[in-house]
Amino acid sequence: MTEATAADSGDGNSFSARLFEGEKFLSEEDVYVSLTYDELDAKAMMDRVKSPKAGAVVLFAGCTRDSFAGETVTHLAYSSYPPLALRTLQKIARSIREKHELVAIAITHRLGKVDIGEESILIAVSSAHRQAAWKAGEECLEEVKEKVEVWKEEWFADGGVWRANRDGQAGVRV
Amino acid sequence: MCAQKPPAGHFTILYFASASSYTRKQHDFFSGPLPISKLPDLLEERYSGIKEKVLGSCALTVNLDYVDMEEEAAKAEQCLVVQEGDEVAIIPPVSSG
Repeated sequence: MTEATAADSGDGNSFSARLFEGEKFLSEEDVYVSLTYDELDAKAMMDRVKSPKAGAVVLFAGCTRDSFAGETVTHLAYSSYPPLALRTLQKIARSIREKHELVAIAITHRLGKVDIGEESILIAVSSAHRQAAWKAGEECLEEVKEKVEVWKEEWFADGGVWRANRDGQAGVRV
Repeated sequence: MCAQKPPAGHFTILYFASASSYTRKQHDFFSGPLPISKLPDLLEERYSGIKEKVLGSCALTVNLDYVDMEEEAAKAEQCLVVQEGDEVAIIPPVSSG
């Protein structure tokens, strides 16, 4: 816990200020990862992984929730270390694709302020048959949540906290 | 990442999330070369309490590669040396998704 108080929040917050415009991505054949401050596009993500070889496409959309442990969340903001987060996303995507023999995989994570109910992450995977796609999608999300260098600030009526996925604890005051 | 390049004889250190809240900055420039094992004390001098309150739960990267600080400390004189122009980052526990 720091003694720092919540000086500012949301759009004006230096922690969630835009570091780039548009989309930053790493792309190779059948493995696509990106970060963006803009709204996510589920259809575009599905289209990235569709193939005549794939009988199954699984799309996961992670959305921002309006509460944490019963307390009302007013909004969320994600910050990142983009070059490292992209590198980690790519490593995860490559290994999941190989392990589950996917046709293709695409992951995108949103940054900056995200309103409640909007998507913060999309994972699209395609495979010949559905079972591999279901499993790969779930495993991919768990890996991303554990490793990718993105940080969520949850803002409550009385200030913000930095969430940490690994402990599920109350978080550190922003 | 950091728009500015470090001045000659310096390296960049980036702060994210809780580290950024504690320092109230997104980056600093420190003079280098600097043995990596000396970095925590240098940060502590500038930001009293940071070792216990922040660094204890954080990882560290140099030019996008994670560094095992315990391993480096054990190497003493032979530890990794941060060079002029390098980019170091303090990585708090992540919360993507």
